[in-house]
Amino acid sequence: MSSPFSINGGACVAMVGKDCVAIACDLRLGLQALTVSNNFPKIFQYGDVFLGLTGLATDVSTVSDLFRYKVNMYRLREERNIAPSTFANLVSSSLYERRFGPYFVSPVVAGLDPKSGRPFICGFDSIGCIDFAKDFIVSGTASEQLFGMCESLWEPDLGPDDLFETISQALLSAVDRDALSGWGAHVYIVEKDKVTKRLLKGRQD
Amino acid sequence: MEVLLGITGKDFTLIAASKAAMRGATILKASDDKTRQLNKHTLVAFAGEAGDTIQFSEYIQANAQLYSMRNESDLSPSALAHYVRGELASSLRSRKPYNVNLLLGGVDPITHKPSLFWLDYLAALAPVPYAAHGYAQYYCLSILDKHHHPDMTLVQGIKVLEMCTDELKRRLPIDFKGMTVKAVTKDGVRDIEFNDDKVVKCA
Amino acid sequence: MDSLVARYSRPATLNRETFSEDLQDGLHDDMNPGLSLKFAMPPVAQPSAWLRAATDDHANPNCPIKIAHGTTTLAFRFQGGIIVATDSRATAGNWIASQTVKKVIEINSCLLGTMAGGAADCQYWLAWLGMQCRLHELRHKRRISVAAASKILANLVYQYKGMGLSMGTMCAGVTKEEGPALYYIDSDGTRLAGNLFCVGSGQTFAYGVLDAEYRYDLGADEALELGRRSILAATHRDAYSGGYINLYHVKEDGWVKHGFSDTNPIFWKTKLEKGEFTNVTSALD
Repeated sequence: MSSPFSINGGACVAMVGKDCVAIACDLRLGLQALTVSNNFPKIFQYGDVFLGLTGLATDVSTVSDLFRYKVNMYRLREERNIAPSTFANLVSSSLYERRFGPYFVSPVVAGLDPKSGRPFICGFDSIGCIDFAKDFIVSGTASEQLFGMCESLWEPDLGPDDLFETISQALLSAVDRDALSGWGAHVYIVEKDKVTKRLLKGRQD
Repeated sequence: MEVLLGITGKDFTLIAASKAAMRGATILKASDDKTRQLNKHTLVAFAGEAGDTIQFSEYIQANAQLYSMRNESDLSPSALAHYVRGELASSLRSRKPYNVNLLLGGVDPITHKPSLFWLDYLAALAPVPYAAHGYAQYYCLSILDKHHHPDMTLVQGIKVLEMCTDELKRRLPIDFKGMTVKAVTKDGVRDIEFNDDKVVKCA
Repeated sequence: MDSLVARYSRPATLNRETFSEDLQDGLHDDMNPGLSLKFAMPPVAQPSAWLRAATDDHANPNCPIKIAHGTTTLAFRFQGGIIVATDSRATAGNWIASQTVKKVIEINSCLLGTMAGGAADCQYWLAWLGMQCRLHELRHKRRISVAAASKILANLVYQYKGMGLSMGTMCAGVTKEEGPALYYIDSDGTRLAGNLFCVGSGQTFAYGVLDAEYRYDLGADEALELGRRSILAATHRDAYSGGYINLYHVKEDGWVKHGFSDTNPIFWKTKLEKGEFTNVTSALD
């Protein structure tokens, strides 16, 4: 109950579609049962790569700021945007640097490979073990509910519109069964040369 | 049992903090000021462990003022909030973390837009239109959910604040000895007269 | 076990035995129909401590038995009777076990009870209270007063004090003699008469809205709306409250139900039409 991962609450999910990926998060920031803010997005965009962070809110901010810095430095050095798979390895090694005093976050990475255009998603534990997936990645206090929703709704080769519908239904239904997440959601649909961001008006209880 | 409240309105941010300084079962002082002014347009209110509160808020106050002197320009409330969060976050993983909860409010020196930030001792930061800390959150947020409007005038804002303090007087088991109330507008920080002597009875 | 029975037996307010003398009897007592007061006790030295260890999910998230918790219930007296309102969420830890719990228990046509704390405890004992009230009617040929009904419940839960019962309940009813009467009873044994009570994890949020606009001379429609709005406030801020708003109006000739309505459309209607809940974003910036 007072695990650092479930003080503030929150949920995040990423899915692979046909030549597109989707990533979505809820908007709640809470203190145990109390909802403090309904406007605390957990997805961060770094160039072409998207990072979803659930867990302890302070570490969500700290880690997202840290990667913004690291990705900006990468871009200055390399004069190009970071690729999702490269970023995944950066996340992994950065988290493992804190092996004995970890950040209490469960990151999710999503993006399209800049060269091949192939969808890439992966998830991590709090100390950097990468979980590559060909279908979907879930994290947060509603992860069990998200697994159930994704296992039943997801199918291969969904187009961007169907993928949006699928990820939205999966997230909304999952957070409706979790007391600590919900209160609205952000959904990103990432296609080649196009990113669509939508706000979902979820239940507010 | 310390009370911190913050409300933003059309062109102001109101910050209020309880006047009681408590140690154990004793009220040491009934006219405590739990706020510090960071620069012309930014104010923090703090509550938490004795000692940590003053040390931390005066540390960030000194740094904010140093920035203003060096650069001959003030940081915006948003910039300061992120600076404070950074300091609190690095303290969190140090040998002896500061145990301070903060409300940081102000108006942007350029756009004159009011803003308010909620920060807890874990350094979780949330921009909010109204906020509270401690037990006050549990009683006041629902009142503010109902009665707050983003284009409120200062007079309306003070009225809503009074609804909050009335409820706290009604339901909190400990007397918090009234509130110090300050308003931040584009002209700077101003003390607000607040009636602490009103007696409120339970229904 | 005899020492235990002796320790927890109190002067009987009800002419009944609280625990079975013989454990085996209690365990296999399937023949006894309806509400039975013969509870099987766990065969350990300290049943209450054992139960606490097994069910306290706050101290131990991996406890084997998770009891449904988390609630907002309210009731207040006003000139036109009593308003009773509740949410409908049941949680076990962070898991939302149900969004359609009926937390108002219709004890009989004139008496309502509300449910907070252990769902099973409340359901069982308020059903039991309904039985006691009916027996009172049959014995005395007139309806029981709310004061008496609430006292029966308070005495009952007091007998079980320290055994792990968890309930915070309100009894509301209108009688000729008492007028609108409202009592708060909890498993510590507290019993209070009052004008206005909110109970549960979301109580403070409901109090916030309710206290600000409560008056005894409220009109019936105003009172119903205030009850509804107070529950809505609590469902919004308290993670363990939500689902549907259950609304009742208790009058002298019995209670009237005013719907079991989903909070979601009510929330967005309140936000968009009245401009409240300004902290909730409804558009991307």
